[in-house]
Amino acid sequence: MSWETVIGLEIHVQLSTKSKLFSGGSTEFGAESNTHVDLIDMGLPGVLPVANKEAFYKAIRFGLATGAKINQESSFDRKNYFYPDLPKGYQITQMTKPIVEKGSIKIATDESEKVINITRAHLEEDAGKSIHDLFEGKTGVDLNRAGTPLLEIVSEPEISNAKEAVAYFKAIRQLVTFLDICDGNMAQGSMRCDVNVSIRKSGDKKLGTRAELKNINSFKFIEKAINYEIDRQIRVIESGESVVQETRLYDSEKNETRSMRSKEEANDYRYFPCPDLLPVVISDKELKDIKNNLPELPEEKENRYISEIGLEESEAKIISSSKTMANMFEEASSKTDDAKLIAKWLVGDISALLNKDNIDIEESNLTPENFGKLIKRISDNTISGKIAKSVLEEIWESGSDVDEIIKTKGLVQIQDESILEEIAMKIVESNPDQVAAYKSGKDKLFGFFVGQVMKETGGKANPKSVNEILKKLLK
Amino acid sequence: MDKKTVTTISYLSRLRIDKEKEEKIVQDLDNIIEFVDQLNDADTSDVEPLTNPLEKTAKTRSDQITAKNLKKELLEIAPSSNDDYFLVPRVVE
Repeated sequence: MSWETVIGLEIHVQLSTKSKLFSGGSTEFGAESNTHVDLIDMGLPGVLPVANKEAFYKAIRFGLATGAKINQESSFDRKNYFYPDLPKGYQITQMTKPIVEKGSIKIATDESEKVINITRAHLEEDAGKSIHDLFEGKTGVDLNRAGTPLLEIVSEPEISNAKEAVAYFKAIRQLVTFLDICDGNMAQGSMRCDVNVSIRKSGDKKLGTRAELKNINSFKFIEKAINYEIDRQIRVIESGESVVQETRLYDSEKNETRSMRSKEEANDYRYFPCPDLLPVVISDKELKDIKNNLPELPEEKENRYISEIGLEESEAKIISSSKTMANMFEEASSKTDDAKLIAKWLVGDISALLNKDNIDIEESNLTPENFGKLIKRISDNTISGKIAKSVLEEIWESGSDVDEIIKTKGLVQIQDESILEEIAMKIVESNPDQVAAYKSGKDKLFGFFVGQVMKETGGKANPKSVNEILKKLLK
Repeated sequence: MDKKTVTTISYLSRLRIDKEKEEKIVQDLDNIIEFVDQLNDADTSDVEPLTNPLEKTAKTRSDQITAKNLKKELLEIAPSSNDDYFLVPRVVE
């Protein structure tokens, strides 16, 4: 029997506003517990929430960038459930009139490109954090995060496998970081995702019963959790039983999903319009202003890098794929005339170092100023490309200034040809056997002489000059 | 309305209902629903759903931090807390 998988994702994106969705509490990450809690976040009686306009603007940017319909009048509803990290006993969300509806985004896997439709994207408040393992028999609650604005992006069930799900998540992350509406930091929980997975017989029209996998926050786990869940559902059905509609938790240590039945019986949220909040209206002028100020998106950047700067397509693709990479490229380029060389280094040595350390370029010691300077010192022949590599490594370690490193380590390229000639002459004289062999036709030995000169000069010789001098001497 | 529905609703809203009152509550709720159900007789096919009886739209805020650190005061008014957290009976996932 062959099976077909149907996947839909709900991605929660923390919007990068300074203050919360309905209060003037700070959204800063990692603050001391319960220090960013306003009376509204606490849900104390007698307080009234007031919506943060900036959260709407950020949500609209997402809507415009995905070609969605923007509901200029949107409203809030209450989703009722009891959990200690939700002080009011309900979450304020947008059920009936979300700010964004019917968008789409292009995704690419190794095999294919595909468009995934976005059902809706709505604003809602985040909950606080429960700490289960710190206190004997008690759960501690930190409400700093309570009330932080989230944009919940709901896809149509059009994703066919784990790889596509990861590609979709990556595409959304790329978009929201370029739009500057979310920092995209997965480790800090700025993006979390719930995955709906079901299977059906190949060719069937009707959807199978789905299971919802909760709160997955890494690309790797999305893929693993989905693949585990697909296998599990096939096993269940092939053994003659049926899949239960339920919420399941992915355990990354055991690589399995397991049922959270306890929560299931309470799964009746009794939505109703929030009487504390009036509908929020976005004017035509506001909408137009947002549209006119949309930042350049990855695809536009890629095209511009190719047509205006003359980068290779592969380079343009890599550099435009991440906001921080593109920023580094653009800022460093503004400090030198050689944008192409900047690109080569970004895609080559710098990417290799980033991969090795598994960090983002923003977290490295490399600043655009220093990077621009490094490229300038290569272009003006102060240092060779080979020396530049060791300078880059030094920057990577210490963050020191390029010129400082070149000066203190004495790395300036030897430009004086008479010095190089002297050294080359010495090498030729002290290796008569190799000279004879070379002259008798062993051309490959040329590299030996170049290597010896480079060694003697500590790599500071200009390779082009060395080649010319040796060719003359060995004629 | 039956007893099972009342039990479910009371669980969802965390309101305890005494066994001996159950019968009466079922009856009361039935009456209330019947009363409210009269609204269904009105033809609303041409009427937009009302999200708020005040026919106004919201005033919004600009994105400013205005809250003070009230950690000490807020933890103090909680039924149970320590120096850093609100404490609740253990919630096991």
